[in-house]
Amino acid sequence: MTLLRNPVAQKRWQRFKQSRRGYISAWLLLVLTTLSFGAELLANHRPLLVSYQGELYFPTFGAQHSGKDFGLDIDYEPNYRELQKQFRDAGEGNWVLMPPIPFGPLENDLIAGDFPPHAPSLTTRHYLGTDTSGRDVLARLIYGFRTAMLFSLVLLVFNYAIGVAIGCMMGYWGGAFDLFFQRIIEIWSNVPFLYVIMIVASIITPGFWTLLFIMAFFGWTAMTWYMRTATYKEVSRDYVMAARALGASGSRIVFRHILPNSVSTLITFVPFSVASGITALTALDYLGFGLPAPTPSWGELLKQGTENMESLWLVGSVVVAMTLILMLVAYVGEAIRDAYDPRKFSFYE
Amino acid sequence: MLGYFVRRGLLIIPTFIGITLLVFSITRVVPGGPIERMMTQAQLGGEAGSLHRSEGGGTLSDEQLEELKRYYGFDKPLLSSYASWLKQVLRFDLGLSTRYQDPVWDIIKERFPVSVFYGVTTLVLTYLVCIPLGLLKGMYHGSRFDNLSSAVVFLGYALPSYVIGIALISVFAGYYDWFPLGGFVSDNFEELSPLAKAKDVFHHAALPLIAYLAGSFAVTTLMMKNALMDNLSADYMRTAAAKGLSLGKSVRRHALRNSLIPVATSFGNNISLLIGGSFLIETIFNIDGIGLLGYEAIIERDYPIVMGILVISSLLYLIGNILSDICVAIVDPRIRFGGGSR
Repeated sequence: MTLLRNPVAQKRWQRFKQSRRGYISAWLLLVLTTLSFGAELLANHRPLLVSYQGELYFPTFGAQHSGKDFGLDIDYEPNYRELQKQFRDAGEGNWVLMPPIPFGPLENDLIAGDFPPHAPSLTTRHYLGTDTSGRDVLARLIYGFRTAMLFSLVLLVFNYAIGVAIGCMMGYWGGAFDLFFQRIIEIWSNVPFLYVIMIVASIITPGFWTLLFIMAFFGWTAMTWYMRTATYKEVSRDYVMAARALGASGSRIVFRHILPNSVSTLITFVPFSVASGITALTALDYLGFGLPAPTPSWGELLKQGTENMESLWLVGSVVVAMTLILMLVAYVGEAIRDAYDPRKFSFYE
Repeated sequence: MLGYFVRRGLLIIPTFIGITLLVFSITRVVPGGPIERMMTQAQLGGEAGSLHRSEGGGTLSDEQLEELKRYYGFDKPLLSSYASWLKQVLRFDLGLSTRYQDPVWDIIKERFPVSVFYGVTTLVLTYLVCIPLGLLKGMYHGSRFDNLSSAVVFLGYALPSYVIGIALISVFAGYYDWFPLGGFVSDNFEELSPLAKAKDVFHHAALPLIAYLAGSFAVTTLMMKNALMDNLSADYMRTAAAKGLSLGKSVRRHALRNSLIPVATSFGNNISLLIGGSFLIETIFNIDGIGLLGYEAIIERDYPIVMGILVISSLLYLIGNILSDICVAIVDPRIRFGGGSR
């Protein structure tokens, strides 16, 4: 934790906190992400709590409860929304506590006498309406956000890990290794990124991890290039020569001296990587080359929205959600940049 | 300096080979190529008892399969079939589309005008708007004008252009019906008078153009503004202020040219947009440009077209990078690429 305790880092942190917009956005983003990781408690067809004959049940996690547990004559999982109504009508002191959005992301809720997509309404409790197969839009938005966020965060870890490792080696060793990877990076960064991913994804219908590996396979170059330059700069500094003169091994110089000095700047890229991860995944999903079908995703909702333009709530909710999240991310990014590189001034003031 | 650019030009060759070889192997190694597609089609045809019935009861015979493989060059090992493909490309022959059986080059050429129209208009509008706007924002940083325009610019900066495109088409074409739902021109385009033709094109182009612009617009404006602000705090600007030049004059005479350097650097990247277009926006607005062609080719596994578009777009990108360097050299006389002075 020496990385965080040094005075430069603390000054940057102070500056980051001073930019109110960025600081608040960072908190909001953190809260939203944390909430989305508890999505099962926010939007679910299973209730948070069932009280039946004086006993409490927590059906959210764990094995399914069959209808028999709650005095119904069915072996499969009961429809808890109806159970809630039945309990209320019976008035025997049994009750069901549903999450704020009483629908799961994969559940088709077809309303009799109307074809999906259903418009938003408070009475059906589809606050943002349903999609073309009667699945709740708000539930899918929340779960989709979780998928997108998780995806871009893991992708970021992969890209940065590869980038830091190879970039550091290129910068520290130089020579043939450096030259070889320079050519590779040149080829890789000139590949039309999304186009090639589309080609690959069209051939092997990818799952979450496959798609992640494909994206990381084509996306590691930017960080590598940055780390290479940063390492080169540090290697030529006097303190590295001093460490070498003291007899420090190569790995010690890299891990104890060069990395702590060069890695901290990587933070300035993080918000932009997160944003581009979300954007790229949504684009792939929109085009149909992303995650497989029932996975809740923003891109898939966008696709449905463009195919059903009279149902404006489909496109509307995704666009608003994306605007919100990406604006927050951009504000955080701006604030971090400012913290690392204090505001420029003009002589005409 | 000339030597440097010649070297850069020659370096295009290995990079180009690397890119195409990479994608070529991907299309080759993985299953689901045109032959598999034909076989499934033949099978489906056999089951449905349609026109393909004559083809030996649904599946292809071994000889037919061999013939097909030879036709597509799948019978040779990867590297030698890549070599023969490359030899063809050098003769400007991109092969035949497996879908249309037409030369790939002709198909791509047909789509050029549409993509070039959008590319050029976007490029011109971007630079016409962004450079002055960025300058003004930098000069009056923190003013109300700066803050108001920042809100718009930031929106365009945060949102990817395809999302803006989808929002635009849903609201203004789907819901309000003010603009057509896509396409490049109306069906009755040929019958219109020249004036009505122009009107028709721009009526169709308005929404996609906004979407295209939204992407490059924000980036260029912010780049321009930041570059100017960097220069405003430079020593030579202090000197200019000290000798009594007004803000406008000192920016025009001193800071402007220096601030254009980063914008010039990005010029080359915009070249590939000029023709390649964005397949996302073309798909959304159903514009028959090169982007949409590439998207359809991927779905249909029409690899000659996929490779053809890759050839063109990667060449443009590589040339664009060199163009960027040339632009930078023009704007900044201090820069001597590859010079021995360093």
